[in-house]
Amino acid sequence: MRSILKGQVRSRHWKHLKQIIQVENYQNYRTYEPNYVNIESPPSMHPCKRICDLTGFEAPYFDPRTSLRYANADVFKLIRSIPSEYVQRYLALRNAAVVLK
Amino acid sequence: MPFISQIQRQTDYSSFPSSCPIVIDNGASYFRIGWAGETDPRVMFRNIVQRPRHKTTGETVTIVGDHDPALMKYFDCTRSGPRSAFDSNVVYQFEIMEYILDFGFDRLGADRSQVDHPVLITECPSNPIQSRSKMAELLFESYGVPSVAFGVDAAFSYKYNQQLGFCDNDGLAICSGFTTSHVIPFVDGEPVYEACCRTNVGGYHVTDYLKQLVSLKYPHHMSRLTWEKVEDLKMEHCYIASDYASEVRLFQKGDKEAEEKTRCWQLPWTPSPAEEPPSEEIARKAALKEKQSQRLREMAEAKRSSRINELENELKGLEFLLQQLNHVEENDIPSFLAESGYVSKQGIESSLVKVTQSLRKAKREEVESEEKADPSTAEKYTLINIPDNMLTPEQLKEKRKQLFLKTTSEGRQRAKQKRFEEELEREKLNKQDEEKRLENPELYLEELRTKHRELSEKVEQRKRLKTNGGHTNGNNVSGGVGRGERLNAAQKERMRLLTTAAFDRGKGEDTFGIKDEDWQLYKLMSKDNDDDEEGPDEDEAELARISSRLREIDPAFVSKSEPGSSASEIPRFRPLTKEDFQVILGVERFRCPEILFNPNLIGVDQAGLDEMTGVSMRRLPSKGEGLEERMTKSILLIGGSCHFPGMAERLEAGIRMIRPCGTPIQVIQASDPIFDAWRGASAYAAAMHFPQQTFSRMDYFEKGEDWLRRYQLKYTL
Repeated sequence: MRSILKGQVRSRHWKHLKQIIQVENYQNYRTYEPNYVNIESPPSMHPCKRICDLTGFEAPYFDPRTSLRYANADVFKLIRSIPSEYVQRYLALRNAAVVLK
Repeated sequence: MPFISQIQRQTDYSSFPSSCPIVIDNGASYFRIGWAGETDPRVMFRNIVQRPRHKTTGETVTIVGDHDPALMKYFDCTRSGPRSAFDSNVVYQFEIMEYILDFGFDRLGADRSQVDHPVLITECPSNPIQSRSKMAELLFESYGVPSVAFGVDAAFSYKYNQQLGFCDNDGLAICSGFTTSHVIPFVDGEPVYEACCRTNVGGYHVTDYLKQLVSLKYPHHMSRLTWEKVEDLKMEHCYIASDYASEVRLFQKGDKEAEEKTRCWQLPWTPSPAEEPPSEEIARKAALKEKQSQRLREMAEAKRSSRINELENELKGLEFLLQQLNHVEENDIPSFLAESGYVSKQGIESSLVKVTQSLRKAKREEVESEEKADPSTAEKYTLINIPDNMLTPEQLKEKRKQLFLKTTSEGRQRAKQKRFEEELEREKLNKQDEEKRLENPELYLEELRTKHRELSEKVEQRKRLKTNGGHTNGNNVSGGVGRGERLNAAQKERMRLLTTAAFDRGKGEDTFGIKDEDWQLYKLMSKDNDDDEEGPDEDEAELARISSRLREIDPAFVSKSEPGSSASEIPRFRPLTKEDFQVILGVERFRCPEILFNPNLIGVDQAGLDEMTGVSMRRLPSKGEGLEERMTKSILLIGGSCHFPGMAERLEAGIRMIRPCGTPIQVIQASDPIFDAWRGASAYAAAMHFPQQTFSRMDYFEKGEDWLRRYQLKYTL
């Protein structure tokens, strides 16, 4: 935990949650015992609600080029005129942005 | 309720006996610490730490909790952002935790390095064993705490409300926290962790969503939208719609109800100092210009007149000299001339001629060079008509010179003629234009405006393509996907040529360049690029012409002088009005908390709050008689994120959808969703049997990790 040398950056020692869970080795224990991983909620069974990315209205339409959802023709005009940086940010809200690693 | 912090140092630390436990509610948003048995925590602050550098001394200082903006100017905060010890709802950074505990204990009044009181600290449900053990280690080793107990904050809250009578022995606790939301069923007063359900969406995500939406909509106000400000906005204005679809339809229709529900945030704005109406300004500018040109003209006049004077003087001098020369004797001429500086009489005469000419030019008399040219050409070109064989070589040379002069002067004349004709054309066009304008001013104006708009768009686009490589979203003709959008036609051609060149060569060896024809490739490429450059110039010239015309005619026209203005500036098309500084929250008011019920909106593929209750009840290991009915009758809402108006109704509607028809459903909000956890913990710690639930350092070392994993508090004492 504490490093003996002063001035050393200590924050790199800490494991993030994902690593903590990995180390826990929950698969070695009984499945009916609650642990951090198995109390998580399952994916939603309800039908997915599709709302327009820009305005929040109900969005039956989908733009294949930018893959944004939109509600009507005015919003579509807006979508096609915003620069691609904003498109990626709108998609990132939905966790659908293209992430280049 | 914006950020509250109570960080006054408490003075009565020593008055508490060593058996009195200290109760800590260690939440992802706030850290609350106090004494067991009391109703309110003594000290509470935001659970974040900042480590900026002091500007003058250079040392790194640790600031816990919310900072005082007035003090911050002493520190250089560029490399220190607020950091939290939490990752989701689990503590993982124990160094930061140590800073926070230091601060907490210190403000509680602890003066020694050891804290001699048992500590009850909260954690998340099913805390990973590593986090738990490290926390225990921290408390035991660094603070010398004699005994520690871990508890789930939602459970404490539930028990507290049960004591108050809000809920029963069997019930559900829906805890919506900062980073996560839990649903924990209680059977016989004890939480059933096997049936617990957790979704990783909480108040933090709601605030973040709101922040992103508003900054995307108002990019020029981004600097104003700090996370804290947005949290304030969220707490004040957000609500949960009882049915998202119908609410959104209201806004879509633009009803009056929607108008009422829209909130407008007016940013501080000072109107620019009273502008004079444009016409006056234009008149003023014109007057200034006039004055300037007048001044210039006067200066030119003065220069010209002084030059004329000089020339005249010179002329007079030369004439006088000539006259004197006539009077002087023949032999005295050289000596006389030597005085004045001229070599011979011809010299004087030629300079005289030159001076008279320049004088005439200065006086702006018409230099009849053109007319003089004609008779002189007639003389000069005498040799041209004589065929070659009759001339001597010298005369041939003369002839060639005359030919050359003739063609050039003819060319000049032709050019002048063309210019004249073009002038006539333009005059005609202008006259036509004027006639059109006079007969139908409105239509003319409209046409001109549309033309201007189209041209400006084209020019803008081309400029954007050229410089930025296309931020537009495929509006241009080349279209395409991904990389193709960024290259205009010329660049694509270039790439194509290069790749074909690269591929065509034989296997292994690159033979490009051995033959000379290969380099012709580059000629092709640059030609393409050049072609592209010339086209826009005409458009731009046209645009300039139209905009100048519009400026003359149309009083309301303001030209778009900066077609490439970045989105981060306010488009200064018109003087900034009050509306530019307003941030309007309409649909966002209920769209953001909606993610608690519908995490799909944010991309989190998990169940929402109402669905989670169903999942949780399904997971119950033992379903006794009527247990579920009893549970739905006492559903408690806890946690900071359940303060949204409309949450209880929405939850009730949601749960009714998944339970059998007619089950009694009652959703109650806890007496104080935020503080109840600490209060419950405090009541618990003050109970008599609490010490049995704690574990000491010895226990920890002897029994080891496995025991710690199975350690759970028993909540009914």
